[in-house]
Amino acid sequence: MKTKFLWMAWGIGTFALAGVGLARIYVTGDRTDLLPGQTAGVHHQIELACETCHTSKPFAGQKKIRKDINKTCVNCHKDELKASDDSHPIKKFKPPRMAAYWDEIDARFCTSCHSEHRPEITSAGLVTQPGDFCVACHSEGDQDVRVNRESHEGLGFETCATAGCHNFHDNRALYEDFLVKHSDQPWLQEDPTHSIEAAAREKPRPEIADIEAYLAEVSAPVSARDQGVEAHWAGSAHALADVNCASCHAPKAETEEEVTAQWIEHPEEKVCASCHKDEAKTFALGRHGMRRHPEVSNPRPAKRMLKRLGWSDPSDGAIAFLEAYLVDPTPAPLMSTAEARVPLLPDAHGEELTCSTCHDPHEQDLQFAAVGACLSCHADEHSQNFTQSPHFALWQRELAGDLPPGSGVTCATCHMPKTERRGVITTNHNQNDTLRPNEKMIRPTCLECHSLEFAIDALADPELVNRNFTGQPNRHIESLDWALKRVTQPTEGANQ
Amino acid sequence: MGNKIGKIKASILGAALMGTTATSAMADGMEFETVADLLHLVMSSDRTVYTRMVVNRLANEEGVITASEHFVDDKALVLPAQMFRFGAEMVAENTDEFSYSLLSLWPINKQNAPTTPMEEEGLQYINDNPGENFYGVEELGGDEYFTAVYADVAVAPACYTCHNEHKDSPRTDFEGGDVMGGVVIRIPVN
Repeated sequence: MKTKFLWMAWGIGTFALAGVGLARIYVTGDRTDLLPGQTAGVHHQIELACETCHTSKPFAGQKKIRKDINKTCVNCHKDELKASDDSHPIKKFKPPRMAAYWDEIDARFCTSCHSEHRPEITSAGLVTQPGDFCVACHSEGDQDVRVNRESHEGLGFETCATAGCHNFHDNRALYEDFLVKHSDQPWLQEDPTHSIEAAAREKPRPEIADIEAYLAEVSAPVSARDQGVEAHWAGSAHALADVNCASCHAPKAETEEEVTAQWIEHPEEKVCASCHKDEAKTFALGRHGMRRHPEVSNPRPAKRMLKRLGWSDPSDGAIAFLEAYLVDPTPAPLMSTAEARVPLLPDAHGEELTCSTCHDPHEQDLQFAAVGACLSCHADEHSQNFTQSPHFALWQRELAGDLPPGSGVTCATCHMPKTERRGVITTNHNQNDTLRPNEKMIRPTCLECHSLEFAIDALADPELVNRNFTGQPNRHIESLDWALKRVTQPTEGANQ
Repeated sequence: MGNKIGKIKASILGAALMGTTATSAMADGMEFETVADLLHLVMSSDRTVYTRMVVNRLANEEGVITASEHFVDDKALVLPAQMFRFGAEMVAENTDEFSYSLLSLWPINKQNAPTTPMEEEGLQYINDNPGENFYGVEELGGDEYFTAVYADVAVAPACYTCHNEHKDSPRTDFEGGDVMGGVVIRIPVN
């Protein structure tokens, strides 16, 4: 009898403890132990915000789950896919005529090629298919590329996407007619300047007389006045655009009294974002700011989670207790360099990334934002070799006035390309947008000064990339030669 | 081939494609063949209007703008075949109730070659039997589909000159009125 009682007590106790433990995790506790496997690359920043990607209801079918995950992928990658003129969009694989291909690689679902939490099979670009995945659809019948293209006879399928010739999604700088159109050009143009960079760098700054006038009209509480800060501001584009002290420190104030009363010593980023909308939006798409993306799920409030467990009206004391003792590690509002998984300089550790990390709000030193800010953190070989590169030398000569605006190449020239639309220049603050695959950089950046052939070769040479493009490529990608041959010698492949 | 295959509730199809004229097509029990014929009528009419009144007029007759496969880079008009494909892809994004595509036995783009035995059979049939359509039922991915194939005829010089001159075209002797390919419409039976 005693043994039976002990077994019952043990069983009840075990279930109770397990229940409390699971409820703790569900309500607002640390969910690290629930991760089925480490996420790859950048997704580690949001891996504990499970609901960002997993939106399906419990016990949903596999197809429904995969469809739902498609939607969450697109939440963040929509603009990128649209801009890429995607060569393999999902809509192309949905019609039933593609059913035979669904058995090979089911391209109706992102997760067929990008399966998260599987670091053991994940390669660059979060690809979880073997490197020769093109073989699945392009090796038989009418689709056999080795038959359609004489030049491709005998090529291994593991080389399609790794040799600098093709990408699954983005082929804007690699498609055949584009290659032909940009053939026979010198590796460096006669007048190598980046036109949009030039326009941005030539933007007017206040004249001396304007600066004096701006300084005379400074309106701020006495306790906040600072001659150095005011001098920097008066010489900035902000002053020229009539963005004064109160615009950021007391944005709703209309009178001097209200400015003093509502003064905010350290305005939040949303003040910057209220004007710099495109910059804020793209910042939230890159590694530096992705935790700000509006689709990343919010931390779980204890009250809401208790309601879901059936406790419809939890007391304030219970909520306060849970919030005090259960730490919700769903993404912190800001990315910290302490969590970065790329090589960083020792001095950079512990920094949080905000607008003012790279942009001093008063000084607006774009030289620092375009180079200095990057090099104060990043310690990888490519970054640290920049100051010995020919691109940096051009930048220094431009700053010295020896070369025209747009001649110099900064970190931002390549990693934060500018676009111009109806006279408005916007800087892409998703610094990863043209990085993977790196051929995405060719059109917005490389082609401004270099030939397509040189750009493809240079980006396909990892050693040259590590040297930050000091020297010439040691690789030659033959795609342009082959494309040109089909046009100039049409008997060999064209009009089969 | 005009045999009656079955019945379909065509409300979604009608609403999607027929707009205000959908009322008569929304009645339960419309034959698959009739639904497919109506869908094709809209598709082929739009396609012919775009080809004749936009591309052929502006690019070939008046020469004020070109039409290009790379219409974004070339700041040009979308080719008629691309216009059709973009519509088909937009439908695919929005519904599984039907799908359609423009295919050919001599496609410039290899992805527009037949991928199922019935597509091959249907394209061959409309080529061998001018003026006739092809209808059948096939199983794809575990589901049964009513499949209709309609001839796509060269309605303007813009069609056959481009196909004859394109470096990837496997056939270069098309003339006006030739069957260049076919529109394939699929409707799930269940």
